[in-house]
Amino acid sequence: MDTLFISLAVLLTGGVLPLLLHRQFKLMKAGAIFVTTVGCLIGLATLFPVLQDTGPPAFSLSWLHVLTLSCKIDSLSAFFLVPIFLICPLAALYGFHYLEKREESGRIAVNYCFFSLLLLSMVLVVCANSPITFALAWEIMSLSSFFLVVYEFQKKETRSAGYLYFVFAQAGAMCIFAAFGLIFSYTGSFSFDSIDQLPAQAKLVVFSLALIGFGSKAGIFPLHIWLPHAHPAAPSHISAIMSGVMIKMGIYGILRFYILLADTSLIFGQTILIAGMVSGILGVVYALGKHDIKRLLAYHSVENIGIILIGAGLGMIGVSTGSPVMAAFGFAGSLLHVLNHSIFKSLLFMGAGAVLQKTKTRHVDELGGLGKRMPITGKTFLIGSVSISGLPPFNGFISEFLIYFAAFHGLVSTGLTFILASLAIVSLAVIGGLAAACFTKVVGIVFLGEPRSARAARAVEVGWTMTAPMVFLAVLCLVIGVWPQPFVRLAFLGLRDIAAILPIQPGIEAELVGNLAFASRLFLALLAAITIFRKLLYIKKEVGAGPTWGCGFTQPTVRMQYTGTSYARSMVEFFQPFVKIRTVYSGIRKIFPGQTTYETRVNDIAEIGMHQYLVHPLVKILERLRWIQHGHIQLYIAYIVLTIVVLLLFI
Amino acid sequence: MESIVSFAIALLVAPLFPGVINKVKAFVAGKQGPPLLMKYYTLVKLFRKGSVYSTSSSYIFKMGPTVSFAASIMVLLFIPMAGTGAVFSFYGDVIVLFYIMGIGRFFTIAAALDTASPFEGMGAAREAFFSTLAEATIFTVLIIFFRLNGSLSFADYFYGAQAISLAGPGGALLILVIVAMFMVLLTENSRVPVDDPQTHLELTMIHEVMILDHSGPDLALIELAAFYKLFFYCTFITHLLLPSSLAGGLENGLLFYCVLTVMYIAVGITESTMARFKMNLVPKYILTSFTLVFFAAILTMGFVQ
Repeated sequence: MDTLFISLAVLLTGGVLPLLLHRQFKLMKAGAIFVTTVGCLIGLATLFPVLQDTGPPAFSLSWLHVLTLSCKIDSLSAFFLVPIFLICPLAALYGFHYLEKREESGRIAVNYCFFSLLLLSMVLVVCANSPITFALAWEIMSLSSFFLVVYEFQKKETRSAGYLYFVFAQAGAMCIFAAFGLIFSYTGSFSFDSIDQLPAQAKLVVFSLALIGFGSKAGIFPLHIWLPHAHPAAPSHISAIMSGVMIKMGIYGILRFYILLADTSLIFGQTILIAGMVSGILGVVYALGKHDIKRLLAYHSVENIGIILIGAGLGMIGVSTGSPVMAAFGFAGSLLHVLNHSIFKSLLFMGAGAVLQKTKTRHVDELGGLGKRMPITGKTFLIGSVSISGLPPFNGFISEFLIYFAAFHGLVSTGLTFILASLAIVSLAVIGGLAAACFTKVVGIVFLGEPRSARAARAVEVGWTMTAPMVFLAVLCLVIGVWPQPFVRLAFLGLRDIAAILPIQPGIEAELVGNLAFASRLFLALLAAITIFRKLLYIKKEVGAGPTWGCGFTQPTVRMQYTGTSYARSMVEFFQPFVKIRTVYSGIRKIFPGQTTYETRVNDIAEIGMHQYLVHPLVKILERLRWIQHGHIQLYIAYIVLTIVVLLLFI
Repeated sequence: MESIVSFAIALLVAPLFPGVINKVKAFVAGKQGPPLLMKYYTLVKLFRKGSVYSTSSSYIFKMGPTVSFAASIMVLLFIPMAGTGAVFSFYGDVIVLFYIMGIGRFFTIAAALDTASPFEGMGAAREAFFSTLAEATIFTVLIIFFRLNGSLSFADYFYGAQAISLAGPGGALLILVIVAMFMVLLTENSRVPVDDPQTHLELTMIHEVMILDHSGPDLALIELAAFYKLFFYCTFITHLLLPSSLAGGLENGLLFYCVLTVMYIAVGITESTMARFKMNLVPKYILTSFTLVFFAAILTMGFVQ
C-alpha cells in the first residue's frame, strides 16, 4: 500500500510541475510526461505482490474526526488498476506532439494538471473501501474529466458537450450517493462491510440506483447520450483515457456493488445481461450511422460496454444458477474485455486524433487514402480495427471467446436462462458482424482509396511521440491475441477475491486458452506460408499498374467513390425504428434543375426520447418556479436561513 | 495420417464441384456447358499470368486474397471429411473458425474499398450486411448442436459415436437446420437467389464485383478460397444428412463424396429454377433461415432434457 501512495505522490507532483514550468513549453511537457510515466510504473510495480498474495493490503485514515477515509486493494481493484497505469502514460506521451500550440502553454499546463488529477482519482476510486472515500474520489474524477473535456472552451460545441457531460456525471453521482444514503439508513455505518446485511428489497433498490449511476458513467444505453458529444469535443488523448479507462470505472462500480451486496438473485444477472445486449447492438448500429470519426468511436464504446456487461451478466447468472464454469468464464471474459477495450479503444482514438490533427476534419466522407500518406497511423489503426471487431488472431477475440464459452455453458439450463443465454450468443455474433462492417467502413473510407478532399491529400505522418504509443498498443493487441495465457490468468486472478465465484476445475481455462493460442499461431503460420507462396507465384511475372476498372466509365473522379454514408445506409435502415433516419431533400421541381441539397442524418432515439419525455416536461414545470430566482441577494440569504431552520426542526 | 490425406484430397477436388454446378445448370437449360474440369483450366491459366494493380490500391489490396485463402484453408483443417477425423480439433474450435472466416471477409471487403471504385464499395457494403445476418443463423445452429451433444467442435459434431445426424436423436430438428444452413450456404457463397456468379452487370453483383480489380495469381487465390468455402458449407450439410455409424474406411469416404455431389447438384438445380431476389428482399430471406433455426433451438427445450 505504501508504494501505491508513493506512486500517487509522484503522480500529483507530475500534475503540479507543469503549472510551475509553463513558461518552458517543451520542458514542461517532457517533465509532466516523465513524472507521470515514473508514477505509473511504480503503480504497476505495486500490483505484482497484490496479485500474488492472498491478503489484500488496506489503509485507513480519519478525516474531519468523523469520516474515515479507507483504501483497500483486493484482486478486483488490482485488475482495474492495470489499464489505468498502462494507458495513462501512453496518452500523456501522445499529448506531447498533439498539444503543440506554444501560445496556449498555460492552458496545456492546466490540462496536464487535470490529467494527473483524473489519473489519481481513478486510482482512488478503485481502491476506495468506504462510501465517503468512494464519493470523494468519484467527484474528483468527474470534475477533473469535465475540465479536460472543455479544453477548447472557445468553441460553443465544446461548451455544450461539456455541460451535457457535467449534467450526466452529476445526475449519475446523485443516484450513487442516494444508494449510499439508503445503505447508511439501514446499517448506520460509513463502511462497505455491512452492506450484505440489507434486506432483499433494499438491495434491489440499491442495485438499481447504482446501475443508473454507474451506467451513466459507463455509457449503458440509453444513458450513453453524453459519450458521443463529449468524446469529439475533448482532445484525442483525453478521449482515449475517458473512453479507454474512465468509463470502465462505471463497470467497476457495478461489479463492486454486486460483490458487496452479495445477493445471488437471478434478477441482477438478467438485468445486466439485457442492458448489455441492448447497449451492444444499438451502440454498434449507431456507430454505423455516424460519420464523425470520434463520435463513431464513442458509440463503439457503448457497444463494448455492452459486451463487457453481457459477460458480467452471464457471470452473475452463472453464480445464481450454481454453474461455476459459466460464472468464472463470464466474469473473466468481462474483465479481460475491460483490459482489451482499454488497449484498442485508446489506440483507435489516438489514430483518430492523428487524422484530425493533420486533416482538421473528423468527417469520414471528406477523408480517404490516408494509409499511403500516414503509413504508421494507417497500419496501427487497421490492427486496432481488427481487434475491436473481435477477430482472431488479435486480443478482442480472446475475451469475446471467453464470454461465448460462458454463454454456451448457460445453455444447459431451461426456461428463461436458456433463452437469455441463446440471445446473448446471437447478439454477440451480430455485434461482431456489425462491428466488422463498421470498421471496414472506417478503414476503407478513411485510410484506403483516394483522398476525397484537398486536406486529406496533403496529410503527412504525425510526430514520433504520437506514433510510438500507437505502435506499442498495436503490438500489445497482437501479443494478447497470440500469447493469451498470462493475460487470461490475470483476468482470473482478478476474480480471486470474489467469494461468490466458486473455483472451477483447475486446468480448464489453461487448456482452452492454450488451444486458442494454438489456433492463432496456426493461422498466422498459414498466412505467412501463403504470403511466401504468393511471392513465389509472382517471380518473373509481369506486374503492371493502371487505373481502377471503372466498369466502362472512363472519366472517374474521387467524388464517385463509395462513401461511409452509402456504405452503412442499408444496415442502418434495417434497424429502424430503433434508429431514426432524418432526410432533408429539396427535390428537383423545374425542368432545368437548379441547385438541390440532400442531407441525411441518423438521430439517437435515446436522445430524442430523453428530450421529449424528460427534459421538456421538466423545463415546463420548472418554468413556473422562475420567480424564485429574482436576483435579490438578501432574499437568497433568507432562503438559506430558512432552510437551516427547517432542517433544525427535524433533528 | 488418414485425416491429412483426406484434407489433401479435399484441397485437390474442391474446384471440381463448381464444375458440377455448371454442368447441372447447362443440363437444365438444355445446353452442353463447359467441361467438368473447367475451373482447373481457369486456375492454371490465372496462375501463369501476371497482374495489373490499380494505382489507387495499397498493400491491403494484396493482403485480401492471401488472408481469405488462409482463412478458408484453416477451416478445412478443422472439419472432418470423408469418414476421417479432422486434422486439428479442440473444444471450442467452431467459434474460432467462424471468426477466422470473419477475418477473411474483413480483408476481402477492405481490399474492395482499397480500389476506390464505387461498384466495389457497393458490393462490399452488401457483403458486410448479409454476412452479419447470416452469422445470427450460424450461431443459433451452434446453440442447437450444443444442446444436442454438448460439444463445441466440428470433430465432435460430425465424427465418432456421438455425431449429429438426421438418423440420430433429435433428427427431426435437423430438418430445419439443414434447410436453414442451405439458405446460409447460398448466401455466404454468393449463389442465386442472393447473388448471381454469372451475372454481367456490376451493379447487381456482390462477391464478383468486390474482386473486379484482382487479376492473375491473386484472382486464382480468391477463386480457390471461394471453392474451399463452398466445399466447407456443403460438407457441413452432408454430415448432417449422412448416418453416423457406417462401415469404416473407403465406403464411408465414397458415400461422403456421393452425398456431397448431391449437395452441389442441389445448388445447381436451385440456381436453374430460381431467379435472384431484389436486393431489399435478401435480408428477409436470411432472417427466414434465422427464424427456422431459432424455432428449432426453442424446440430443443422439449426434445432434449
